[in-house]
Amino acid sequence: MRPVVCLFAFCLPAALPAKVFEEAIFPILQKSCLKCHGGEKTKGKVDFSRILTERDADAHPDLWETVAEVVELGEMPPDDEKPLSEEDKKTFELWHEKFQKVPSEATVPVFRVRRLSANEYRNTLRSLFGFDLEVGIARAEQTVSGESSLVLKILPPDPPGSSGFFNDTRSAPISSSLLESYTYLAGVALDKLFSVKGRVSLASMAGKGDDWDGMLSLADAETFLRSFLPKALRRSIPEKRFQSILATLEGKAGDTLASALKLELKALLISPEFLYRGFLAKPVGDGGRQAVDAFEFAERLSYFLWEDMPDASLFEVARNGGLEKEEKLAQQVKRMLSDPKARNLSESFGVQLLGLASIDDQFKNDPIRLHALRTQPRDFLNYLFTEDRPVMELLDSNVTFVNQNTSGFYGKDRQRLAPFHKPRGVERQRTMNQRLELRDAEGRGGILTMPSVLAMNHGPIIRGTWMLRRILGVRLGEPPADIPPIKPNARGQKLTFRQRFELHRENVTCARCHEKIDPLGFSLDGYDKNGRFLLASYHKRGNQPIIDTSGKLPSGEEFKDFAELKRILLSSKREQVIRHLTTQVLSYALCRKLGRGDQPVVEEITRKALLQNATWTQLFIEVANSIPFRQTVYKLVKDGTKLEN
Amino acid sequence: MGRNWKIERRTFLRGAGALLPLPFLNLMEAKSPLVGIHGGAESGPPLRFMTLFKPNGVHPPSWNVNGGTEKDFRMSPLMQPFAKHKEDLLILDNMGDFGFSSHSNSTRRFLCGHHQNSRTASVDQLIADQVQGDAPHHSLELTTEGLFTNQIGCSYISYDKKGGMIPRQSDPQLIFDKLFRNPLSDPGKRAEMTSLLDRVESDAKALKRKAGVEDSDTLEEYFNAVRETELRLEKMGPLDQGLETSKFAQLDRPLAPSNLDEQVNAMLDVVAMALWTDSTRCISYMLGNSNSRMIFDFLGIKKQHHYLSHFFRNFSRENIDSLLKISLWHMEKFDYLLNKLKSYKDHHGRLLDHCVVLYGSGMGHSDNHTAQRLPIVLAGQGGGKLKTGRYLRYSKNQELGRLHLSLLDIFGIEQETFANAKQPLPGLDGGEFDEYVERPFDSWVKVESGTMTVQGRLRMSDNLDEAKVFYVDVKGRSSVRMEIGFGDFHSRNVAYHVGTPIQLKGKCVERDGILILNRITEIKSLFGNSNPGKANG
Repeated sequence: MRPVVCLFAFCLPAALPAKVFEEAIFPILQKSCLKCHGGEKTKGKVDFSRILTERDADAHPDLWETVAEVVELGEMPPDDEKPLSEEDKKTFELWHEKFQKVPSEATVPVFRVRRLSANEYRNTLRSLFGFDLEVGIARAEQTVSGESSLVLKILPPDPPGSSGFFNDTRSAPISSSLLESYTYLAGVALDKLFSVKGRVSLASMAGKGDDWDGMLSLADAETFLRSFLPKALRRSIPEKRFQSILATLEGKAGDTLASALKLELKALLISPEFLYRGFLAKPVGDGGRQAVDAFEFAERLSYFLWEDMPDASLFEVARNGGLEKEEKLAQQVKRMLSDPKARNLSESFGVQLLGLASIDDQFKNDPIRLHALRTQPRDFLNYLFTEDRPVMELLDSNVTFVNQNTSGFYGKDRQRLAPFHKPRGVERQRTMNQRLELRDAEGRGGILTMPSVLAMNHGPIIRGTWMLRRILGVRLGEPPADIPPIKPNARGQKLTFRQRFELHRENVTCARCHEKIDPLGFSLDGYDKNGRFLLASYHKRGNQPIIDTSGKLPSGEEFKDFAELKRILLSSKREQVIRHLTTQVLSYALCRKLGRGDQPVVEEITRKALLQNATWTQLFIEVANSIPFRQTVYKLVKDGTKLEN
Repeated sequence: MGRNWKIERRTFLRGAGALLPLPFLNLMEAKSPLVGIHGGAESGPPLRFMTLFKPNGVHPPSWNVNGGTEKDFRMSPLMQPFAKHKEDLLILDNMGDFGFSSHSNSTRRFLCGHHQNSRTASVDQLIADQVQGDAPHHSLELTTEGLFTNQIGCSYISYDKKGGMIPRQSDPQLIFDKLFRNPLSDPGKRAEMTSLLDRVESDAKALKRKAGVEDSDTLEEYFNAVRETELRLEKMGPLDQGLETSKFAQLDRPLAPSNLDEQVNAMLDVVAMALWTDSTRCISYMLGNSNSRMIFDFLGIKKQHHYLSHFFRNFSRENIDSLLKISLWHMEKFDYLLNKLKSYKDHHGRLLDHCVVLYGSGMGHSDNHTAQRLPIVLAGQGGGKLKTGRYLRYSKNQELGRLHLSLLDIFGIEQETFANAKQPLPGLDGGEFDEYVERPFDSWVKVESGTMTVQGRLRMSDNLDEAKVFYVDVKGRSSVRMEIGFGDFHSRNVAYHVGTPIQLKGKCVERDGILILNRITEIKSLFGNSNPGKANG
């Protein structure tokens, strides 16, 4: 959220002591908060007992945000405890100000290597070998779809890291069982490469034509290695490394040569250099803050936009220093976004941004419907990301993607779709989405009213919390453990669900979250649990009770229906939405949770995007060109061992 | 522990497997004379640890053993599916000393003792480190449900040395292949793998010199994984002397499951085979995430388990019936596991005799998330270290970590403390423990201007149509009916006292000539703990 300038700052009497937290804030916490938060009890998961120094305090900016809010509203200390003195309140506010200020300059954290996520590993292997590894059993499309990628079947799913994204793999270290899986997969890939099925791939890397018989000579092996090694390690390789491998192949031929080569490749594919990103990055001098080297940068860029290794062209541009200038970088980003691999941006980033995996869980028992619901938002995101669409079209667009299963939601517009052919005897089938321009369909346009997203989040409370978190970037804490259920109607009472929640909000504790959730959620009450727009037919019939979809946001804006709320999101909430999306893109690109040092960058990109009505392409370019993406800090081992390579 | 007996087992397995249905072989008796030759019969069979985790706590009135003593007790309705194993069970009551717990914290607590004990290994991993011995696989971490990414802690019970989440696997066929169709069981492949790892290790050492300060930890993790794999290869090695690679050929590979029930049965089959063949000595298996949102459509239930588990707030007869059906299914799976472990002969007895099985949950009451009176059952004789067939109801709330300290002790691990526990749990071996004892008590009711005081035994209504209603039984008069809201139910922790004698003070109203207590002002346990803990976490 936008930082608020502390208005009281100027009237504060005394300057704060040097060790502010230890001398001024800690005593206040001790006196007024600790009893219930870390002392005798630890209520609401708030524990002050472990925060002893300014340093500890700095690590929890979100906590102080909450503290500031409850103190300002007078919710804490609770009524039956002694309130904070005015002086203590001011001291806290003055201290808290530092968390609200965006630091003037961006800082960059220390470089960390990072293991490839399961998806990245699958894609990298595919690009490297030129084929996919698939699970042996083919399934009929009507049956529940199993995982078809051998890699994803074998590797355990990555838990999301603290950034919330799966590519943030730091919380899932390698284990021996994982290493065994990597070894197995490398073996399967290599066996395929050296078999008839992989002949085409091997031939192209060994510099052979289509009519090659597969007999590898030592010279072919060398050609192959010179092509394969830099690709696998995603950078140029010093000559001596080739020589050391070639030495092991010396004097071998035929099958012996092939198996010796396979062993070398297998060792490479389970080495940390391949499985992780960054072990080979080359720091300059004694370390410290610096630009990452060209190959590291190319790798960052390609895993960001493609979730995959750099291709030959990106590799070439990087080698020639072509990514240092912003215009060249922009050209490269545009080229990459037009490549089919950019589909991974919506499949991975987009799906995680909006929590779309939930569709797979909910509809897995109906594969045909599942196919329709899961592809609709993905195709839409892919269109926004790769066709240079404005960022805000996420919420408001006159283009959508529709297949036979979802076309019924689009009224007269569906008549402009190319006909879906259904073979005789087939009752339901999977069909590809078609791009549809919205003209007449009522209540559509943008992700919020997309049938699949509405079906994924049915019910106003889930829709409201989803919109808060995924679009506005507001994360509510866990609900308290002792919330009573929403009161059912007493005998004779005829309150609607909405009215019962209005009663619920009369409780101050409940209202803290529900005044944010409810107006957003109930605004979508005009759509049923399948995402059908009800108001259109209600308006037509006239005699039905009109559904109340009006509301008022905590920030004061009022609306009479969802269409008006959408206008509010596009105008007065525009900055908040863009800031949230920027944060998410940057966090995904960097594969880590953002810190305070990244805030200046987020602000700068948000500011530019607002001014220019930026497109997704521009946003991706800004992120790729940002300080934390371009730079890092190397802390080298103490003994100062000179870096080789 | 010698490997001799195991080699014999496998040799024999190859020889006789085709003739007899495997589970009924008594391997060690058939080959027992050889045991002495190789290393002495005193090096008995290895002790195994298996834990089966039940998601979403329980419906306590159906789970709790009400009344009864250590040796004379009747198993509760929910325990009926595994009641026939009574003589092999140790049912623990009054485990857990915390107030209320989030799903994610209760998951961590199950094997770590406390949710703040988050920088060290869970108890199963400590046990695995200790007992792995010659078993090729350190441990298996299994599950039934995908990751719950919104609160990732709900998906993991096993944690490594640094408190990191250990990836779980859910495909019974993959586990079977890893254990019994592993390409590395071929000596040639293994030799190749060994040289491969040597190679990788020496290459990576060069990286170590270059790695930044922050990255040497990551590299260290990698080296650990390499070393563990090497160790496993060594252990697989000598077993195969004189054996064909198809030594496990007689074991049946599970079919691809078509529903949850088949999936879990298949996995439990593999679990039992893994323990019996001594492929691993430690397994943790989650029947679902701790906030499991699985839908049990094969039981005819359309609502998610987690929703149903909040049975007080989401009350309806249909919901509670569904919840109990799901819970009974969980209990049936425990029964299935025990049947399997009993059917395999191991050394001079059954496999179960040389196992410690921990079944249960980190959460008690599934609606208000209590972390007391957790459902915890131990099964198996633990090589003689557990005296089963008993019900241990402790008089005071026991830190869960005490159970873990006892488990460590059983597996020969000396450790002073675990989580916040400083002493092991007494009584598991038949020794003395501080038992909850009820003495004769009076029951009575007093009513004074809208305030009622009543003493008697608290119970939930027997009628599932009114599962939110409680009664206090009073001798010589009809029971006092209690209809309270969730606020009272939660803040007074009524669930904790169900089944025990209490003294209760509260407001009452008269309806149709019956006094109904509808607001609690005081609740006191006559023989137990009146204040079972209110911490939130």
